[in-house]
Amino acid sequence: MRIAARPGLLQGSRPLTKNMQESPTPLSVLGPQADAERQKIRQEFEAGTSARDTLHAICELADHHVRQIFGEVLRVQNREPEGLCLLALGGYGRRMLFPYSDLDILFLFGSERTEQEFRPLISEFARTLWDLGFRVSSAGRTLEESKRIEEDNAEFHLALLDRRFLVGDAALFEKLDEKVLPGSERQARAFMLGQLHRLTRDRLTRYGNTIFHLEPNVKDSPGGMRDYQATTWLRRLAEEKKGIRNITAAEEELCASAVDFLSATRCFLHYSNGRNDNTLTYELQEAAAERALGIGDGVKRTPAEWMRQYFRHARTLNRHLLRYLEQRAPVPLTLRQRLRNAARVAKYDVPLSKYFHVRDGLLEISDLSALSDRAITYSFFAECARTGTPLSREAERCLGYVLIHPELPPKNTEMGWEMLREILGSDYPGLALRPMQRLGLLAEVLPEFALIDSLVVRDFYHRYTVDEHTLRTIEHLQELADPPDERGAHFTQLWKTAERRDLLILALLLHDVGKGMPVENHVTGSLAALDSAAKRLKLSSEERGEIQALIEHHLDMSATVQRRDIFDPATVAGFAESVTNQERLQRLCLLTYADIHAVNPEALTPWKAEMLWQLFVATSNYFSRTLDRDRLRAHDEVSLLGRIQASAGGRASTEEIERFLEGFPRRYLAMHSAEQIATHFGMYRKLSEEPVGTQVAATRHGFVLTLLTADRPALFATISGVLAGWGMNINKADAFSNGAGIILDTFYFTDLHRTLELNPSEIARFRKSLEDVLGGKAALEPLLKGRESARRARTPKVTVPTHINFDDSSSAHCTLLEIVTQDHPGLLYEIGSVLARLGCNIEVALIDTEGHKAIDVFYLTAQGKKLAAQKQELLREVLQGTLS
Amino acid sequence: MMKLEAVIQPSRFESVKDALREIGVEGMTVTEVRGHGRQKGHTEVYRGREYTVDLLPKIKLEMVLPDALVNRVVDTILKSAKTGKIGDGKIFLSRVDEAIRIRNEERGENAL
Repeated sequence: MRIAARPGLLQGSRPLTKNMQESPTPLSVLGPQADAERQKIRQEFEAGTSARDTLHAICELADHHVRQIFGEVLRVQNREPEGLCLLALGGYGRRMLFPYSDLDILFLFGSERTEQEFRPLISEFARTLWDLGFRVSSAGRTLEESKRIEEDNAEFHLALLDRRFLVGDAALFEKLDEKVLPGSERQARAFMLGQLHRLTRDRLTRYGNTIFHLEPNVKDSPGGMRDYQATTWLRRLAEEKKGIRNITAAEEELCASAVDFLSATRCFLHYSNGRNDNTLTYELQEAAAERALGIGDGVKRTPAEWMRQYFRHARTLNRHLLRYLEQRAPVPLTLRQRLRNAARVAKYDVPLSKYFHVRDGLLEISDLSALSDRAITYSFFAECARTGTPLSREAERCLGYVLIHPELPPKNTEMGWEMLREILGSDYPGLALRPMQRLGLLAEVLPEFALIDSLVVRDFYHRYTVDEHTLRTIEHLQELADPPDERGAHFTQLWKTAERRDLLILALLLHDVGKGMPVENHVTGSLAALDSAAKRLKLSSEERGEIQALIEHHLDMSATVQRRDIFDPATVAGFAESVTNQERLQRLCLLTYADIHAVNPEALTPWKAEMLWQLFVATSNYFSRTLDRDRLRAHDEVSLLGRIQASAGGRASTEEIERFLEGFPRRYLAMHSAEQIATHFGMYRKLSEEPVGTQVAATRHGFVLTLLTADRPALFATISGVLAGWGMNINKADAFSNGAGIILDTFYFTDLHRTLELNPSEIARFRKSLEDVLGGKAALEPLLKGRESARRARTPKVTVPTHINFDDSSSAHCTLLEIVTQDHPGLLYEIGSVLARLGCNIEVALIDTEGHKAIDVFYLTAQGKKLAAQKQELLREVLQGTLS
Repeated sequence: MMKLEAVIQPSRFESVKDALREIGVEGMTVTEVRGHGRQKGHTEVYRGREYTVDLLPKIKLEMVLPDALVNRVVDTILKSAKTGKIGDGKIFLSRVDEAIRIRNEERGENAL
């Protein structure tokens, strides 16, 4: 710690070197003596003396020379030390002096007068020490000045906590130590705690709040020696009471072991660099691993193995620091923080409430005894991920205790995919995965992840270890809910609307696991890891296929952005072909955004973010505009045919399945699993008995209606009308037709009045109503009566202007109509009715909503052809009138 | 000595870099830039929102070369950056009076 010297302390002095040279122990003798001693200490360290003993010896050497030079200077000046004493501060004060560290020395004067008298002497003293090879960093205060707290120099007051008497007027030191400082330190406790928090947080932020740097600074990086010192100060300033949240003997031992390891490393760095340079470079990692530095068994390690040891110790020190920082927050929470915390308070299910609670915006454990049940432990993490409430450090500590104590045998250790996907698919997966990794639970659930634990892979761009990079990717995604800078602005909506985020996050967790395997291309290794994880977690073939595609192509989007002309339509078409569908494009774009962002803080430049976005937009538009180009040729889908046949129990012929699939847009396959397609096929087979096949199922956010029937006029409008009549709000829909004119419509809707949710028997009535209206047995109008007036009465909170756009160039057979407008219940019915009235046939429809905005794309024909220009104008006019 | 500044298509950067390395040019400063010349931008609509790309992404290379190497480097960049389409970029050359290596204060072409 640098202590700001008070101006003028070393100025205006008279050189006394000449006199020193005449003394009985001149510089010419002391200099070589000090050098020889230093050399001896270094040799002993290199021969295996512990870092603790080495630091002690360096400190003794410094003490000896400080005392000797001070005595010599007094003798030459013919003075007694009365009214002046020297104190060692900071690392020197606590006897942790590294080979090239500064000697932090305080000159304490009895009064201003003594200060004036001693000033020349001090200057001479400091200069002589410099000449002997000691780097002195000094400050001077009178006893009176020491009572004051210097608000702009918190570092000085913190260093003063480690004061140690060196030489001079012992009574003066006693007065300072016993009478002056205890009172002023007590008074300034809150100030110093606050400053220590600020300085520490600033330092941690400067290093990205992670210990996992590829070339860490063993002093200042998170997990470095400074963490240990800050923890010690925090504990002292907080006057920690024994027994209350205190550190256990086992934790104390782990800390001591970490301090020994890091001290040895820092000594080694100083000696190797020949200066106070604490960066653990790749070269020095190799040298340290070669001699098993800090481990003591003399067994040579690989740099990666040795760095794992380093990170293990760094994690111990960092974890303690963060726990104490969290416990002793001296600054009251701001109103915003309090409101945010209040909003975060979770609504617990009754059975869980006895196990945990929220305090100060952090999740705390209420029932420690429940922790041996892993199902409960994982439910904590699921709660973190769901609500965005972080686990408190104290709760994490309790979990850590339970995990390593065999007297508490764990129950329900197997975490199934259902629980894991709850965590991964939530809004804040990173909040759960980070502590899970620290506690070793992530490796328990996903043993493949252990391959990259603390793994240093050297390359020019990456700043963090592989596991840290991976967790950062996930944190960058969760940040998109409220992006901290402009780079994330475009991607926010993609994150918010991404379906099956669990697959994306699992792909991210595994995408670099191959870097921990002896394979040439890490992607191959990551895919092998997916194989084992998928089997263990019992992923469905669709889930596994999607994750596999994301891992396999995780570098493609970045490579396309950087190495291809993304404004060339051929590039976009080629890229779209490899991605295959819109949903995967969305996930891949998010994955790429996060992957680049997590390389280092500067890697995702606004320039790159913009390029990535441009490629996404171009490819997304390509998908929407070319939907009808790529139709299924059922005969080629051998594997799908087999699976559908198996699902049908072998009762269906291949020809029958082919007839059903033939001519659907390929996107149909991308949007539905093989099991769903098999169900659709089942409905298709029953068409002769049930001309309108319907199915209604509950989803996470509402319901999904699947409807299969032969094409007929105004079909889409009628279905939308029935849904509107029942008060359902359509969020998303797609309408596909096969070559034989069979229509398959899927509507995702929310049940605004909770009719179906509260009365499950109503589902049957709802289906009947649909079938009756479509079959001409019931009229639609009575259903819609009343809904219209209710809609008109509601004023929208956000106004979305209506955009209507026609595109004749993207499809060979259809005119594309894109409508962006204010969403409201019944909207699709209104649009569908206009289209039907004007004789437009919907070949394909893609319906989506984004907050209050509806984004609908229709592929239209009129009498089997594209829409004439005149018809387009008429349609635009009527739609504008209807929607405004 | 000449200073060479080249504004090229991002997609050609790797090829240009490799080609320059082959003729012994390793040192260069690379900047991600945006701009336009004759190649005007375009408008893309995504979900009803218009995105006007009027400043197109480019890569700017800067290097100072000994006179003897200038023509060769220019030829290499021309060959490796050209696609024949509008937007391939430009090369600018200007004279440099002095170069000084900070580490050892070497001057002139020795400092390059």
